[in-house]
Amino acid sequence: MSVYESEPVRVRGQDFTGYRIAGAIAAVLLIIALAVQVWMLFDGFNRTSPEVRWGVNAEENGGSALASQLLQNRTRLQNERFLTGPSPDGPGETFKIGPEVLLDSVEMDDPESILTESWRIPSDETAAILRQSDRVIGVSSLPYVNANLFERPFARDWRFGLADVATHIGAFAILGFSLMLALLLAIRGRVPIAEGKSGKKVKRFNIVERATHWMTSASFILLALTGISIAYGDTLIRPFGHDVLGAVGWLATWGHALFVTPFVLGLAIMFVMWVSKNIPSKLDIAWLKRGGGFFSDTPDHPSARKFNAGQKLIFWSAILGGGAMIVTGFFLLFPFYFLGLEAMSWMMLLHAVFAVLLIAIFIGHIYIGSVGMQGAFWAMWNGEVDRNWAREHHDLWLDEVEGRASK
Amino acid sequence: MARLKFLCDTDRCIECNACATVCKNEHEVPWGMVRRRVVTIGDGEPGEKSVAISCMHCTDAPCVAVCPVSTLYQTDIGVVLHDKDTCIGCGYCYYACPFGAPQFPKSTLFGSRGTMDKCTYCAGGPEENGSEEEYRKYGSNRIAEGKLPICAEVCSTRALLAGDAEVVGEIFKERVISRGYGSGAWGWKTAYYPEERS
Repeated sequence: MSVYESEPVRVRGQDFTGYRIAGAIAAVLLIIALAVQVWMLFDGFNRTSPEVRWGVNAEENGGSALASQLLQNRTRLQNERFLTGPSPDGPGETFKIGPEVLLDSVEMDDPESILTESWRIPSDETAAILRQSDRVIGVSSLPYVNANLFERPFARDWRFGLADVATHIGAFAILGFSLMLALLLAIRGRVPIAEGKSGKKVKRFNIVERATHWMTSASFILLALTGISIAYGDTLIRPFGHDVLGAVGWLATWGHALFVTPFVLGLAIMFVMWVSKNIPSKLDIAWLKRGGGFFSDTPDHPSARKFNAGQKLIFWSAILGGGAMIVTGFFLLFPFYFLGLEAMSWMMLLHAVFAVLLIAIFIGHIYIGSVGMQGAFWAMWNGEVDRNWAREHHDLWLDEVEGRASK
Repeated sequence: MARLKFLCDTDRCIECNACATVCKNEHEVPWGMVRRRVVTIGDGEPGEKSVAISCMHCTDAPCVAVCPVSTLYQTDIGVVLHDKDTCIGCGYCYYACPFGAPQFPKSTLFGSRGTMDKCTYCAGGPEENGSEEEYRKYGSNRIAEGKLPICAEVCSTRALLAGDAEVVGEIFKERVISRGYGSGAWGWKTAYYPEERS
């Protein structure tokens, strides 16, 4: 035994008062955000309502009856020719309207969904002429991709999947998981180095490992932020203006395509570098059974080598989840080069769902690597961890390192 | 308020492609894009049908719902328009469209997708109605002049009808009365009455 371990200094998770207060504040904010999200879920499905109103001098007089009249009269001219002329006895040139602007349009102050609701219900007469909704693909003489497509009702389901299902899954996964972590921090506090810091350092990650980690994580965070501003811009950014949303959208689109390169590179290096140490073993079952010793303030954690079962799960989430994101994203970057319309639609849906789940998982990783556990952050920052931290969390790895060092 | 729709009478369409051609000409639609197409179903077989399709200007339009940058918007006559200045070319509207209406020019760095273009119901875009800028981006604005889409107005067999849904429905029903049911209003259920069961 070394001198540093003579009298263990007991540190309890609940002693980190500042962290716990911050956790409580975050929890309150997240509860509010989640409440808004629940309200949005029960507020009904995403519906499209008209936002712009047409009229004759629409700015001044609200009445659009005149515009309606004009368009209805014009529509009547398409009736059978013996009814609409031109014929010598007919009224003649009524269909000629000059090139001057007659109708104009203004934005509605308060977009109304009442129009959509009234449009959705056909009259009995109209219902009688409707043809069944059906997938219809024929042939077309036009040389364009998908020019032979007439109708695919699946598109409406796709819209439901993206605008309602994926969006809500993402919001609940990200906010809900964050709330759980904030509550954990507020109630349990940090996972402490139970025996306190020894002051003696052990090298954990070399410069290549750290550089790869930070390149991958920086690109992941940028990909996540650009992705979120595309997926949730309508809620988060649109209140600041339609133009702002468009500008942010452009940056996000190009950024999203740009940051993928370091992400792919980092993921590939990480795989080669760490895969041998991340093969599941019997130790992991014991580790998982005890929840990694997460809730204990004693120095007695389940045994682990360089990576414990939690870290292995994160590793495989990054490799498999990140890999799935890269594959689906690759197809989305090259629309219709490799896949057809239906397959592309699924790629997009999967990309969205994988993305929000991966973001939620990695919020957990960021938590435990920073505020969640005392001493964990330095492993990736300067590569050195406290010896007591190493002994509590990675005892077998420490033996290995010290055994090798003493040889 | 009038609710404008398209209706293609498949018992009349003769696949002359005049609608597609006149549309390209009227709006100077760029190479590689087509706002209106004619699709033939069961080509060369008995019961062959042709149907002209473009944006149907749906009720509860899916493209508007999935657009991440609120490029797409609907007006109170049902017409769905787009704003080329904010479009990011993500293509979500294409996956959400039941009729394959949105078009993308291959003009970006990756050669994949530029900003979206689609049928405007000859109603221009968010710019001032009848302005030169509007014409450059969206083509001519016939609605502002009190006219209906040119594809329907040039249709030689009056297969393609455009305009107020009630009037269009009446015209179609008169035909049905004199000739028999035919094959019904193609695409209407998906476009305009998505939740109607039958």
